[in-house]
Amino acid sequence: MSRSTTPADERFSWLPTWLRPRDEELSGSGRTRLIETTVLLLVGLILAIATIYDVSRVSRVNHRLSIDLATWRAYTGHDYRNLTVDQELFGASSQHEVVCGNTSPGAVRARVQLCLVIYGPVVGGRRTVHGGWYLPPHHEDREAVRYGCFGPAAEGLCTE
Amino acid sequence: MSVAARGERGRVSVGSARWTQALATLLALALLAATVEIVLDGASGNPPLIPASPHIADWLVGIGERLTDRILLTALLVATVAYGGLLALGWRARESPISKRRAIALIAALHIVVFAGPILLSTDVFSYIAYARMGVEHGLNPYLHGPDAIASDPIFRYVGSDWRRVATAYGPLYTLLSYPLAPLGVTGALWGMKVVALLASAGTLVLTWRCARARSLDPVWAILVVGANPLYVIFGVGGAHNDLLMMLAMMGAVALMIAARPTPGREATAAAVVVAGALVKATVAALLPFMIVARRSMAPILGALAALAAGAVIAYAAFGLHGVDVVSALNRDAAFVSTDSFATELAHLFGKPGVFPIDHDLLKAALVLIILYLMWRTWRGYDWVAASGWTLLAISVTSTWLLAWYILWPLPLAVVCRDRRLLGATLAIQALYVIHQTPPLLAPVR
Repeated sequence: MSRSTTPADERFSWLPTWLRPRDEELSGSGRTRLIETTVLLLVGLILAIATIYDVSRVSRVNHRLSIDLATWRAYTGHDYRNLTVDQELFGASSQHEVVCGNTSPGAVRARVQLCLVIYGPVVGGRRTVHGGWYLPPHHEDREAVRYGCFGPAAEGLCTE
Repeated sequence: MSVAARGERGRVSVGSARWTQALATLLALALLAATVEIVLDGASGNPPLIPASPHIADWLVGIGERLTDRILLTALLVATVAYGGLLALGWRARESPISKRRAIALIAALHIVVFAGPILLSTDVFSYIAYARMGVEHGLNPYLHGPDAIASDPIFRYVGSDWRRVATAYGPLYTLLSYPLAPLGVTGALWGMKVVALLASAGTLVLTWRCARARSLDPVWAILVVGANPLYVIFGVGGAHNDLLMMLAMMGAVALMIAARPTPGREATAAAVVVAGALVKATVAALLPFMIVARRSMAPILGALAALAAGAVIAYAAFGLHGVDVVSALNRDAAFVSTDSFATELAHLFGKPGVFPIDHDLLKAALVLIILYLMWRTWRGYDWVAASGWTLLAISVTSTWLLAWYILWPLPLAVVCRDRRLLGATLAIQALYVIHQTPPLLAPVR
């Protein structure tokens, strides 16, 4: 339907035809719609790929973290649940994790904590501990409070 | 065609319709059951996924088991698949696969179940109450202080830890509307917020019905798509989000524009309603340019300006200059990044650790281009309701801070617009959002 006779369109009659406003779209060849639909499908495809990739990435990270927690428990012989994991110390993409937990029963960080640097391939449901350090009670993992560093991965990470 | 052949085809058609009805009823029951599971389990045993809250759903404790990631995600997936199945049955004809009575009963049941349960999956409602209590009970301006200014108030412990230092980003009209709830105490205010969300949702559905009818679409299909949507019910109504009030204003404006013969008065009122909605939550202002370009008359411009002037005066009187300066709050929030945003997912896909400042600028530029293109299309006769819906969808997709209830914004527009692709795109984005929540389901069971 065209509104060419209405005052609204008369106000814009000085514009070239292709620039004039319309009340309804022209029923043309559908080229615009085809191009739009193609672009939408492409954008949708990219978003779908990004979503699936991210789901797979997060699942891999979750799986690795659960193995690291199991590694800490196996290494220390303590079946503690309240462990903290730091993925940033060696870089988020390094796949090197630092897992810290109490050395005796207690609330989170309430006791002397043992931090282990864990990385490498998964063998028998565990990864390898390449070093670690201790933290005093009630402290977060900072270089200034670390002591008793051991193993190659912990070299230079303790102040003492 | 022989009489026998016609009779055979008629029997097949009746039989097929019966199967469709039966399957649709089963899917509706699965959708309801999954929602009930989330609410009952959410009420039991202080699950970590449910925000700490005053005990408003204690009478449901013990019926379900503690809500874990796995239970929530399984129930959400069941609800999503059931909802998708329901829509698939009616997609071709754009008609509801279940009767009007059953559709209304399903939507009502979903709303009542969620209304009766605890606050689901978000602490936002506690921020709303905190801002109201700051203004009414403590004489503080919520546009200048975060909830940490009332750390001794009983609501403070329920406010999300990320939001305790953050002043309100909501519109001054919403803040003033929330003020009467503040003296009711924390529990009373919480129920008040739940009632507001329920009524706003009911109003949105009524207006969606009216708009669909005005455009000769099946109104039952329209309300089924919106009112039975799992993200709408579980996150939107379940979290008592003020997005529902914004959507009510949005559909009110659309109804005024399309549900009857347009007059300058109606157009001006519709624009004023959009501005009122934007004074609740600014996003809905995206409708205004399309409304104006589609009508090409002074009425919506004057209506919007009048409402804006009135809103600014009231906001200034109540909150000073900070209540009027919505732009700075929006700029602040635009810098936030969530792991669920498509921008973050794309950054990961391209090997980056996350979204960088340049990405914010690129996304804003992309959004501006999309809006300009849609305005041009609207100028040339494209449905302004569809253009508004595409814009809301583009805002949520290009935002670096994406939450489940943001991808609800375009949904009511998608069911009443003339471009069917918008509904497909909105539902596809919602499906991707749900899929992105699934990694805990893929983790090994401990």
